[in-house]
Amino acid sequence: MIRSAIKILLLATLIFSAGCSKVLDIEPTDRLTANVIFGNPEGVKVYMANLYYQLPIEDFTFFRQGFRWNSSPGTGDVNNGGFAPAMATDEAVHSEFGDFLGNDDFQWWDNGFKLIRDVNMLIDVIPTLDVSETDRAALVGESAFIKGYAYFALAKRYGGVPLMKQSQQYDGTVESIKVPRSTEQETWDYVMELLDQAGNNLTESSTDTRRANKWIALALKSRAALHAASLAKFGNRAPLSGDAVTAKLVGLDASLANGYYNQCIAAAEAIIQSGRYGLFRANPADRDDAAENYQQLFQNPNEASPEVMLIKGYAIPGNGNGQNYDIWYQPAQLANGWPHPGRMNPSLDLVDTYESYDNPGSSAPVATTTDGNVNDYNGYNVSKDYIRYNTPHDIFLNKDARLWGTAVLPQTMWKNTEIIIQAGFVKPDGSAVIRTNDQVTISGTTYYTYGAATPGQYSGFDTYGGNNTRTGFSFKKFLDENKPVAPGWNQGTTDFIELRYAEVLLNYAEAVVESGSGDASLAAQALNDIRKRAGHITDIALTPENVQRERRVELAFENKRFWDLIRRREFHTEFNNRYMHAILPLRDLRALPEEKYIFVRVNVPNTNTRTFEPRAYYRYIPGIGSNDLVQNPQY
Amino acid sequence: MKRIYLLFCITLLMASCKKDNYDGPTAGLSGRFIDAQTGELVQQDIIRGTQIELLEHGYDPVEPQYLIVKTDGTYENSLLFSNTYTVQPKRGNFVEVAPQEVSINGKTTLDFTVTPYIRIKNGSITRSGDKVTATFSLEQTVINNVRKIGLYAHADSRVGEPMRMVAAEQQINAVPDPAHIYTLEIDLPSQSSLLKPGNDYYFRVGALIDIGEAKLNYIAPVKITI
Repeated sequence: MIRSAIKILLLATLIFSAGCSKVLDIEPTDRLTANVIFGNPEGVKVYMANLYYQLPIEDFTFFRQGFRWNSSPGTGDVNNGGFAPAMATDEAVHSEFGDFLGNDDFQWWDNGFKLIRDVNMLIDVIPTLDVSETDRAALVGESAFIKGYAYFALAKRYGGVPLMKQSQQYDGTVESIKVPRSTEQETWDYVMELLDQAGNNLTESSTDTRRANKWIALALKSRAALHAASLAKFGNRAPLSGDAVTAKLVGLDASLANGYYNQCIAAAEAIIQSGRYGLFRANPADRDDAAENYQQLFQNPNEASPEVMLIKGYAIPGNGNGQNYDIWYQPAQLANGWPHPGRMNPSLDLVDTYESYDNPGSSAPVATTTDGNVNDYNGYNVSKDYIRYNTPHDIFLNKDARLWGTAVLPQTMWKNTEIIIQAGFVKPDGSAVIRTNDQVTISGTTYYTYGAATPGQYSGFDTYGGNNTRTGFSFKKFLDENKPVAPGWNQGTTDFIELRYAEVLLNYAEAVVESGSGDASLAAQALNDIRKRAGHITDIALTPENVQRERRVELAFENKRFWDLIRRREFHTEFNNRYMHAILPLRDLRALPEEKYIFVRVNVPNTNTRTFEPRAYYRYIPGIGSNDLVQNPQY
Repeated sequence: MKRIYLLFCITLLMASCKKDNYDGPTAGLSGRFIDAQTGELVQQDIIRGTQIELLEHGYDPVEPQYLIVKTDGTYENSLLFSNTYTVQPKRGNFVEVAPQEVSINGKTTLDFTVTPYIRIKNGSITRSGDKVTATFSLEQTVINNVRKIGLYAHADSRVGEPMRMVAAEQQINAVPDPAHIYTLEIDLPSQSSLLKPGNDYYFRVGALIDIGEAKLNYIAPVKITI
């Protein structure tokens, strides 16, 4: 009986489904169709928000695995160890990992072309929308901005790429939609063209820091043009060969450098002369004030006009919304129950780069011995004459305020807590205990290797949990000092400054000094205005070295350094069997009853050398077996 | 019942095994890089060194395979499929060699007779006291400048510029006088954390020509106990 009932049901189903002749043509009811979205301006606004969301902004959720690595749809496990892009440069090392740059790192291919397809669909409908001509121009400008942004991100990774100038229509044959790579020059020129189009159509008057305006488009152009110019000028530092080179799909001719430098100069100059932007707290009262201002700029960008141009916001916590800098990079003492703090360890190499107020215009490696030798990384040696300091941070006392605003230095205050970073002690007999858990009691006082008795009371050098810095420095920039860490994923809501005026000034200074065009005195002023904001009172000359040093320290950890090393073709010479360096603060018990510290410069403990392969100046192109594109050299 | 089920599973597995069993690669290619003038092997780098590009015929597009070369100037890949290949050394430390078609069948041998960019002559590496000293002269075969020379040290015998713990380098950027004797020194106490007393290390002299993507030319490494 039951069997025949099933049979009847089956039969009925068959008959009925045969009746639904156009089952595949039904409009889906669970999503919006193109007509609905593009049919009214509000829909377009929503669509635009999604395009902004897809922008390849290298912010707090940008890691080597990709963008929006905060449990966003389409991304992998948010627990990636907190390996920040800075750790693939000379800015920092990870407290635990020894990784360097890998082949699959920083890829952005599929998602790049997805964004370009999405923006092309919008560009197609803009002429048909029922909006005012002003709004139409704004849409034209904004979509060009987004497309230019996407092509910039592609060009700096892959060189020349397929240029999808229009939407593609799929006619059933795959071959018809395959677009070959354009040359690298054509690709950069297209980026320039798109950003010009954006600048010409976008409003001049908007002060919205979350959407593009004319000045934001020009600021991005100054960045992109500087990148292209540098590739042209310095490409011969790392020549490559192969099919992609022969076809000019990668590489720019040196003769193109000045043209791009001039585009950078023109874009930056327009922003400077507009007078709409300036440096945040440009005239600090003193160095402490300067350090405080620098920290504030990043801790709350929304209060930092007129410097902030474009912000990537993190308004609400939660998967796909918040970010994880606070949990990954807080000193171990302030983990607040979070199991994996302390991952970002600023390198001694970076710390050395900051100027000293005593000696403006040059890097100031910290001298630890009376002979002033800063190239000895062989470790503690009792026969050497170490300089004794009263605190573990006095050695940095004269260093640029921005160091103090960027890193937590040993035994300085952070969130009303003294952050203990100590690598060991020297016994009264001159023998040293370094990075070995130990203690010694002298005259009733006990001294510990790491400056305190147990993990959680200190933040340095103990390998316990990978939670402590191994360079001597903990991280501060961008972290929120005002509240305790929320010990869970994606709870951070500090906003990221994607474009700020200081970068525009630095782009201008670099373009002028490298090309010889532009206004040299304005460029020198740009350089020194930024230094003045950092508490410097002596101006320095406009030289390529000064500009690069200034860029490294001012933009540290803003994920610019990686691309600076790429575009100036310095990666393979900077990273040729290179050890990163650390400084070991040691309590010197020979000085008892006085409290004294000495410092030892070493290679970062438990690390190996790092070497950059020249082919990594370009990422490999995924999927050449099916997309028929020419692969980049040596992949 | 259970046993039948198990048997059935095994049969299934066996059946699928058979279909996937293609023959593995059985052919191979090996050979040497020989200096056309002296007949000696041309010393190489083990990493970031000369590569031999193999393009297997019959596929389009074909992904190139790259063989690396041993430091002594020999190479071998014993896992290639029998086929015709276009073979060309790339990015080497010698004057470019034209591509050639090679039929690789069984164990095939292919030597390359090349002209190294630089010959390092009368090389000697010795230790005296706290210093390891290298002396040598340079003979170049092309008109380009010599970019740099270096003395490299590593715990592994495959030491070279890309694989070194310590280096003493000198930028040249000129065409050297063949009669000039160059001297490079590594000071041992100042490298004591890397070159630890009591251990053996390998030292090797290299010289780099100023040609894009060129690799260094070397003399054979010398083992020294520190």
